[in-house]
Amino acid sequence: MIKQKAEKRRKTKSEKTIIREKTTSFIILFVFCVIWCIPFLYMIGTSFKSELDLQVHPELLFPSSPSEWTLNNYKGFLVQASGEAGYLIQWIFNSLWSSTASVVLTVLFDLVTAYALVFLKFKGKNFIIGFLILWMTVPGVIGTAPSFAIYSQVKNSLQVNQNPTLLYMYIYMWLIVPGLSGIFNMLLMRSFFLSIPKEIVESAKCDGASNMLIFRRIVCPLAKSTIMLIILFVFIGSWNNLVFPQLLLSEGKYGWKTITVGMTVYTGGSGLDSSGVAMAASLFSMIPIIIVFIITQNKMIDGMASTGVKG
Amino acid sequence: MEISIEQRKAQRSKAKRKEVVLAILMIAPFLLIFICFSVIPFIMGFGFSFMKYDPYAPEGTSFVGFLNFKNLFDAENPISVAFWKSFLTMFLFSAVSIPALIIVPLFLAYEVNKQPPGYKIFRALLYLPSIVSITIAGAVFCNMFRNDSSGVVNAILGTDIDWLGGKPWEDDFLRWVVMFIARIWMGIGGNFVIFSAALRDVPKSLYEACEMDGGNRWTKILKVTLPHIKFSLNMCIFNTFIGAMNMYALPYTFSTLSNQDIDVAPMMWIQKYLLGGMAYSTQTGYLCAGALVFGIVLTLVTFIERKVTAPSSKRTKNTAKYEQMLLGRKTLLHSSVKREEYNYD
Repeated sequence: MIKQKAEKRRKTKSEKTIIREKTTSFIILFVFCVIWCIPFLYMIGTSFKSELDLQVHPELLFPSSPSEWTLNNYKGFLVQASGEAGYLIQWIFNSLWSSTASVVLTVLFDLVTAYALVFLKFKGKNFIIGFLILWMTVPGVIGTAPSFAIYSQVKNSLQVNQNPTLLYMYIYMWLIVPGLSGIFNMLLMRSFFLSIPKEIVESAKCDGASNMLIFRRIVCPLAKSTIMLIILFVFIGSWNNLVFPQLLLSEGKYGWKTITVGMTVYTGGSGLDSSGVAMAASLFSMIPIIIVFIITQNKMIDGMASTGVKG
Repeated sequence: MEISIEQRKAQRSKAKRKEVVLAILMIAPFLLIFICFSVIPFIMGFGFSFMKYDPYAPEGTSFVGFLNFKNLFDAENPISVAFWKSFLTMFLFSAVSIPALIIVPLFLAYEVNKQPPGYKIFRALLYLPSIVSITIAGAVFCNMFRNDSSGVVNAILGTDIDWLGGKPWEDDFLRWVVMFIARIWMGIGGNFVIFSAALRDVPKSLYEACEMDGGNRWTKILKVTLPHIKFSLNMCIFNTFIGAMNMYALPYTFSTLSNQDIDVAPMMWIQKYLLGGMAYSTQTGYLCAGALVFGIVLTLVTFIERKVTAPSSKRTKNTAKYEQMLLGRKTLLHSSVKREEYNYD
């Protein structure tokens, strides 16, 4: 009886306001999310539209009738590898391997460097850290032209041009290696290492553990979440990088481009292909990054947030 | 086993030396890459801007002083004029887009913070566009805003508007509108999650206290929320600023044949002449001078931005005295603070 009464009691004023506020915020967010999803819906819908539907019903997001759904737009790059679209799979492959290499190497470099900067004692440590922090304010654009000059000079003097495979490797070396010294990620790792209690490492040292052992058995397992975060940052950054890859990949074969550079053929109001093919290509090339996002969505958002708050 | 003091000292210094060697080995790769690919190009860029330099004919390098900068400030040189015009467009677009990129995410984060049902899904959906690469966003928006009636927007409106055409400073207002929409669509994600984390950390008790004192919703926002998220706010403004200054991909992808060669951001200007390769290689020094000027402007603007938004510690006349008092240099009884406070009125 008492329980029932408690359930039936009238809601207090503050409870009512909370419910009202939640409802309004739900409606607002719902509207925003619908608007935010329109480009995605357009992308999905248009990629399945038939040629006829693209001509007759451009105002619809999705094909007009069930019979108009088609996979023809995907054929261009999946089945008959011809024309611009034929390179799409190759582009995705290029992006995949170069991003993965960037991720693995960056995590390795960051772990090792941050370990030395935090747990080992040597002179000039503070100077290096101070210098790196100061360097973060220097705009990288000043170095773009000289970087390109060094790139082409080394290429000419080593005669890289003569061998296509060598040139490919050389270009991708330039895409991967400069990013390895990303200061922000390294400092992120360092600030995590600083938060590890010194006692753990000290006691391991007292027990006779070597630096290698401490690094492998204590520090790396603890840093898992930070490693995850750096993987995400580097993967997405490298996958979406446009300026420098575009510069280097302006020469060489068409199939050597990364996906982000390659997709520029579909942009612009005067795009080369029909919207159906362009949207199919966009959607298809988004698959890897969407998979990464779905797996790590929660961690990524929280990680983004926490790095933001701590600076 | 007996170990003499000398032996122990020797052992210790040996271990120390070993640690230093190990440390150097561990940071060497990172530092080497950092110096080779960041520091050296920077120094070279600084040097080249005072030189006549051609990467395809390095023999002809010569020191020319401030000639490159003189060319850059030459109002008759069309390329220099394009450079300065690109600054104007960039600043104008930033002035419009930065406030929107702060206010919209702040508002959405405020709504998410009320935790309506399914707020995690909303959060993920609003963040999703920020991981999409700019070229894909470009492809999607350019197809939606196609200039003929085959674009979805024109078809719905029943019009034939040429959204992306036109030349800067003449008739390309609609192109900037489309770019603005795309920028908001893509750009709010990062700021949005930072804001929502900051808002989550504002203590609830403060809101209740504010309510007790008779504050309405706006007082709550102005007096409790905003001061608490000040740090995140500053950081978001700074990040958005940097992003807006480095604008390149957006105008590059949102272009048609009629305006794709026109530089509307300094980054585009630099990239265009670098992409020119051989044809512009004799002008590398001039290009470096442009990049240097752009870099200096960038640093200056961010510096000013930092100065303006930096949290100012409010110091009144008595702050120092209170601090001293708290440090124990003066006891409460002997301090003149209290008396002065009354006089201060």
